[in-house]
Amino acid sequence: MSSSVREIDLAAYKKVGMIQQKQQEYFAMRLHGVGGDFTAAQIKKVVEVAEKYGRSQIHLSTRQGIEIHFVHYTMLEEARMELEKAGIMMGACGPRVRVVTACPGEATCRWGIIDTKPVSQDLDKKYFRQDTPHKFKMAVTGCPHNCAKATENDLGIMGGILPHWQKESCTHCDLCIHSCPTQAIYQKSGEYHFDESKCIYCSICTSNCPTNSWVAAKKGYTLWIGGTMGKVPRLASRLKVLIETQDELYQLVERIIEYYQANGKKRERFGHMIDRLGEAKVKEEILSGTRA
Amino acid sequence: MAQEPKKRLDLHGVICPMNFVKTKLALEDLTPGDLLEIIIDEGDAMLNVPRSIKEEGHKIIKVIPLGETFQILIEKGQS
Repeated sequence: MSSSVREIDLAAYKKVGMIQQKQQEYFAMRLHGVGGDFTAAQIKKVVEVAEKYGRSQIHLSTRQGIEIHFVHYTMLEEARMELEKAGIMMGACGPRVRVVTACPGEATCRWGIIDTKPVSQDLDKKYFRQDTPHKFKMAVTGCPHNCAKATENDLGIMGGILPHWQKESCTHCDLCIHSCPTQAIYQKSGEYHFDESKCIYCSICTSNCPTNSWVAAKKGYTLWIGGTMGKVPRLASRLKVLIETQDELYQLVERIIEYYQANGKKRERFGHMIDRLGEAKVKEEILSGTRA
Repeated sequence: MAQEPKKRLDLHGVICPMNFVKTKLALEDLTPGDLLEIIIDEGDAMLNVPRSIKEEGHKIIKVIPLGETFQILIEKGQS
């Protein structure tokens, strides 16, 4: 136990999500919950700890996380042990891979195309707290409605489908033309066509079609890189569309993180590194697996 | 084939999910095979109402754009 707050290794504490407040003797305890998922029992424990060690003040972070504020530095270890006993791990702060965020996905959402939970769990297990040049945030979103904001994260995974029109069953009601959000579907001499360059792989046409004449020819993960908000916002660039196997997805994720670790400057976000090195070059090197 | 709708419903300005609730209630008064014509707004309504109609077992026959709204012809399904 530190006898003074000055003796605390603040960087080590920050790494495990124990963040010094401006009231220097007090810390915010940032908890680890993948995709914003907690059990009711865990929430009860959070309440207990916030009442016992803090000032009953619980903050919901912008990344689906929970923080317990105003924990005195002398009580941190005890509070942490109590949380860990209930299966609640500490979060992360500083230049490293942060907690993965996710929407509920296919498990419960009518629009969900991919099961976001196992994917976010896998990413978390493998990369959580790995050191990176600056913070590195990942999000998994079930479909192009993009509720989990995959395009505002350093690495984003988004479910999607490639539509295909089956002429035989179509009754030409034109619903697809009028409900496609990007006007990718059009009619020409009695037939529907679609322009893949405009398609965002959202599944509205396949879900809505009254005769199921639009079907998913392909289903998979779209990978986005280099998104960030913060002081210099940048929306993500699309690396690859509709990756069909989890193996390929995870191989690319591995290359992306390694690429950033090898090429990013200290305190340079991944997206800004991409802009410095050139987007086309970075994409090509990641896709081909040739590391700089 | 040029069957006339049994009922018309202007749902312009009616938000989700009330636009669908009203559509559903109107369909309940019809017999399977009858047509209902509704007017709904572009945007959220166009995203949600057609899908809910499909999930309830009815069939959209035609969609015609009318400015910022759409005219939708629905055939009541077998209940």
